[in-house]
Amino acid sequence: MSTMTLYVDRNSILHNTHPLTKLLYVMVSIAITYIIPEVTFVFTVAMITLILLILGKVFRKIVPILGLSIILIISIIIVQGFFHPENQTELFSLGFLTFYQEGLSYAALLTLRVMNMVMSFGILILTTRHDELVEALIKKGLSPKIGYVLLSVLQLIPQMRATMGKITDAQRSRGMETEGNLLVRMKAFFPLIGPVVLNSLNVTRERAIALEVRGFNANRQRSFLNVSKEYRYQKLVQILLWTALIAAIVWRIVTWGS
Amino acid sequence: MGIISVENLKYKYPDTDKLVLNDLSFDVEQGEYIGLIGKNTAGKSTLCFALAGLVPHFFNGAYGGKVLINELEVRQHEIGEISSHVGLVFENPFSQMTGSKYTVYEEIAFGLENMGLDRETMIHRIDESLELLDITGIQDKNPFDLSGGQMQRVAIASVIAMKPDILILDEPTSQLDPQGTDEVFKVIENLRKEGITIIMAEHKIDKMAGYADKILFMHDGKLIDYSSPGEVFSRDDLEDYGMTAPAVTRISKSLGIQNKQNGLYPVTLKELSREIGDTYELHRN
Repeated sequence: MSTMTLYVDRNSILHNTHPLTKLLYVMVSIAITYIIPEVTFVFTVAMITLILLILGKVFRKIVPILGLSIILIISIIIVQGFFHPENQTELFSLGFLTFYQEGLSYAALLTLRVMNMVMSFGILILTTRHDELVEALIKKGLSPKIGYVLLSVLQLIPQMRATMGKITDAQRSRGMETEGNLLVRMKAFFPLIGPVVLNSLNVTRERAIALEVRGFNANRQRSFLNVSKEYRYQKLVQILLWTALIAAIVWRIVTWGS
Repeated sequence: MGIISVENLKYKYPDTDKLVLNDLSFDVEQGEYIGLIGKNTAGKSTLCFALAGLVPHFFNGAYGGKVLINELEVRQHEIGEISSHVGLVFENPFSQMTGSKYTVYEEIAFGLENMGLDRETMIHRIDESLELLDITGIQDKNPFDLSGGQMQRVAIASVIAMKPDILILDEPTSQLDPQGTDEVFKVIENLRKEGITIIMAEHKIDKMAGYADKILFMHDGKLIDYSSPGEVFSRDDLEDYGMTAPAVTRISKSLGIQNKQNGLYPVTLKELSREIGDTYELHRN
């Protein structure tokens, strides 16, 4: 059964960290790279995130995801290298293209921020079962309805895709052409999407009834089948993360004038 | 007064003119197994929804009369409250899976979590209902990986775990193969032994004749008959309502085999062979 989760089941220090601690790490590590716009600092943060990924034994999984963001990164480098408004110092030129130092160092900053962002989300997503994360959030006061949406969407989208496949087959068996040039495909789109939408509306209504009769809307205090895993040192790590965030803010305020 | 008591129930869906439920009144006793029959659009599903409180709380529309479940008036209470008395299982097993759980075990826990039960009670009840539906072997599987019959049994287990006094099943076997159908009927027989009141809408008349205590026969939103399977299926006007009697009854009718005491036609093979036996003895003497 295909679910759309990227979770990698390993046993590592990150897998044994509370989901909310990891979520906090994502927030803090992204925030401080914006609060302190220094290339060396951002580089250090990105490196820490990278080391954490390696400790989490999921480094290899992040590579293709980073690969996807390479297009964005290249476009940042080109645009900033050419057109950054403070461009003065010429660094090198390829034919008629001239790259400037100011632009490129700003591009490096942006690139590192993006990579850090992708990698720290990687830490959260690759090492956390998302049902555990959502359950932790519900316990912290997230609405169970939003929690349900977050959880079910990952299972229901593959199901809808399967329905789409069935409907495509059904329409094809009635002689509809679904393959060929763009025009043929466009013509095939409406007879396909109609039944898919109607079918999902119907299924959604039935599922709403099923949830209703199982007391989903009852305003009672909920309980949980799964006990939260016991994690150690979480308070300490969380305090350290908050300290880092506050320290970054203080640093920024102190060095405001200079 | 029985566990379910319906008085002059009338209902129509929003933006329609036709009464889907037209002046229904009946009582159901604790522990009875009621078969709900009638052709499509007779109002069977709507009646099921009305007993579970979905009508009028989930579907709006014009509502009249009274439905009392355990002396609780459905109209005055929310579905969440009614759901601890009445469990509802319907046709499509697939859309009854929540989609937010990754194992059958957790799937069954969903309703219990919403009820706010403590963990021990939950585990106890889940194990119990897994056992009752004979699905202990698949408790760690993903609900969407199961066959239709298994999925429907998970759906029933999820409802049973909430310990309702009444279980309503709306065509629970219409999407299942014969084997899945047998599984579901067997399970319901077990539940009946547990003392749960069962109301089941179903097109499989032959099965129904064998299992149900009483048949509630609907047509066009009206209650046509509410009595034993023998009486309902011996009616001469069944076909006027678009229904056919069980094969056994039709055979007995054309052969003129009747129960000597009450003049009803047999509805199950067992009854038929008893009557034939009697007739045979009669001739021998």
